[in-house]
Amino acid sequence: MADRLIATPPPHLKAGNTVSEAMRDVIIALIPVSLASIYFYHYYAAFLLVLCMGTAAITEIVVRAALKKRHTLGDLSAVLTGLFVALLMSPGSPWWTAVLATILAVGVAKELMGGLGWNLFNPALFGSVATIILAPWFGFLSRDLSGLNVNFGPIDAISQATPRAMLMQGASLPDYGTMLLGFPGGALSETSPLLVIIGGAFLLYRGHINWRIPVAMIGTVAVLSLLAGGDVIYEMLTGGLMLGAFFMATDWVTSPINNKGKWVFGIAIGALVAVFRFGVGATEGVAFSILIMNAFVPLIERLTKHPSFSEPAPKPATEDA
Amino acid sequence: MALNDIKEGEGKSFVGGTHVPHYKSYTDSIAIERMAIPDEVVVHLSQHIGAPCEPLVAVGDTVMLGEKIADADAYITAPLHAPVSGEVTAIEERPNAEGGETMSIVIAAKGEQDAYQPSVERNPDDMSAEELKEAIRDAGLVGMGGAAFPTYVNINTDQPVDTLILNGAECEPFLTCDHRLMLERADELIKGAEILMRCIGAKKTYIAVETNKLDAIGVLDEKLGGRDDMEVVPLAVKYPQGYKSYLIKTITGRDVPRGARSAALGCIVRNVGTTFAAYEAVVYGKPLIERIISVTGPTVPDPGNYVVRVGTKAEHILSECGVDPDELDGAKVIFGGPMTGLAQDNLEVPIVKSTTGVLVLPPEMVREDMVYSDCVRCGLCVQRCPNWLYPNELSILAEHGVYGDLEDWDIWDCIECGVCAYVCPSNRPIVHFIKRAKPIVDEL
Repeated sequence: MADRLIATPPPHLKAGNTVSEAMRDVIIALIPVSLASIYFYHYYAAFLLVLCMGTAAITEIVVRAALKKRHTLGDLSAVLTGLFVALLMSPGSPWWTAVLATILAVGVAKELMGGLGWNLFNPALFGSVATIILAPWFGFLSRDLSGLNVNFGPIDAISQATPRAMLMQGASLPDYGTMLLGFPGGALSETSPLLVIIGGAFLLYRGHINWRIPVAMIGTVAVLSLLAGGDVIYEMLTGGLMLGAFFMATDWVTSPINNKGKWVFGIAIGALVAVFRFGVGATEGVAFSILIMNAFVPLIERLTKHPSFSEPAPKPATEDA
Repeated sequence: MALNDIKEGEGKSFVGGTHVPHYKSYTDSIAIERMAIPDEVVVHLSQHIGAPCEPLVAVGDTVMLGEKIADADAYITAPLHAPVSGEVTAIEERPNAEGGETMSIVIAAKGEQDAYQPSVERNPDDMSAEELKEAIRDAGLVGMGGAAFPTYVNINTDQPVDTLILNGAECEPFLTCDHRLMLERADELIKGAEILMRCIGAKKTYIAVETNKLDAIGVLDEKLGGRDDMEVVPLAVKYPQGYKSYLIKTITGRDVPRGARSAALGCIVRNVGTTFAAYEAVVYGKPLIERIISVTGPTVPDPGNYVVRVGTKAEHILSECGVDPDELDGAKVIFGGPMTGLAQDNLEVPIVKSTTGVLVLPPEMVREDMVYSDCVRCGLCVQRCPNWLYPNELSILAEHGVYGDLEDWDIWDCIECGVCAYVCPSNRPIVHFIKRAKPIVDEL
């Protein structure tokens, strides 16, 4: 008789896909735009990328240790969140804001919510937006920590207005081709919409993201921009719309799980982006819109729940009913 | 659709499901053979859905091959017959494939062990529908695709049934016993279908086959010769294509609401193995004493499809196929297919009427080192669930003991096919959670 037959429950076969493989693919998809940011912002971009990813890993280890849980660095989600935070930063932002945003993202938005899978808000967006809101109260840090500032030399692009601001102020932007290919001014991820789209296409090809959310979101922004009399192409290529549509709104944990829900979610985000851009005149419209809709995901899921295959067909209304 | 133009993978399908590697090449080209008869068989008194049988023999009795040894008075049941000639040595609890024990009749094979000799030679055309059904009842037929529902009860319906679906989908990886049966016993299978059609009054038979068995589709189509009342339906290669409700929906377009018996939908689905057994029961009076099983796996020296007596132990089956039971450390021995079959830790367990195969997964295919983590809401299980459920919600609620909410997420509709757990990137044992929760929810 065999010494040790394994008798665990079915199914006994397993598809090869894992969470860490998916996270690895998202990191790979972000490499091109990360390189573009280094191309435009030199060492400062590289510094932010390393700083945020390192901070993310340390935050994950520390917070989970405090919660007496084993660390989950292996699923790569913490490092990926750090990468996202860095890509959402403007090259001119003080380094401590990047650290704060990363700690809020990984420590608060993810781990304190219960860890990967339980977070309501996209961690990287939560960290970045919370930092934008909190930064004015922490202005003293810029002064107190100034001795620690690292000088990477002058970067012309940093002092330049962001393309979104230029668009709002009616300044003329470079031609469409340049804007698509690469133009500095905004956050690290906004340097090259084309490379972000290529990364998104890779994720679609690998089956990690669902096409419905980017199509719904970008389509809605395009239609509403047209109605609002904006320049549709520039609206597409600025303000991190592509990163939001392909990488942020498609986050598994914080987007609706079924297809109908994904349509609703994408369209609602697109509509909010248009409101922020044409109604409020805010520059962080994409981030705010996604975070707002993150909060509505449980409601969207409840309203879009599809019936079971075994659900009896509704009885046809009788004539006297 | 011209059947000779159809290509592998094409065909009708249900909505949902997933592609699983077939692993069928180990056995799909090996002709059916008889396996040597074991020295001892263990016949479970309950190997069907419904009332367990009462023994009609006592310890020490001599039994003849095919003799009825157990039956029950209930309506939903199926009698048992001696799978070998010999002596009853014990009537006691013996291990079953579910990990428990079942009252069993143990028979030591004695004397000459011949193949089954027909007790009669009947022409089904001379028999009434009632006589056909009696022959099927007396032979102890049950669903041989895995469900083990007594066939007599299934076909003894007063509902008007217009359609018979023969299930030859065989969507479980590794298994090829239905495939070989369709190839090698096509004439008998078609006659079996005619018998079942008469029993239920069906006007049309569809033979459902996945298009990874193009040779079987070709043989059946040729044998049918364009007749109007029977047709081969090629199905896309997708798991779980062969589940009864999905076959009905795919082939007839009829909805299958929960709780509805298929007869009420004018439709009866029978596995091809059962249909072949119905032919033998009616024409030769042969009881269900043996069946074809696939013995397979990448490391099995002598894999194939074997005619094996009911009650034969895994041990005997494996050693007949060249597997050394002492060389199985860290491997899995599975009764049935790898998606829904049960892994055994005791090779004394015998096969029953509905066992479709004995599969050996070597240690390198057994992924015991993997831990599972929280749901990341990737949505794959929701996308692939063939019953359009939310396995993510079910698994989270069951994992955390929130049993009261499970019915809101239709836990009773889950067919436990395993697709959700197969595709889960967090390696969550979703089906296991659901199976464990069902009895608890039932008690609420």
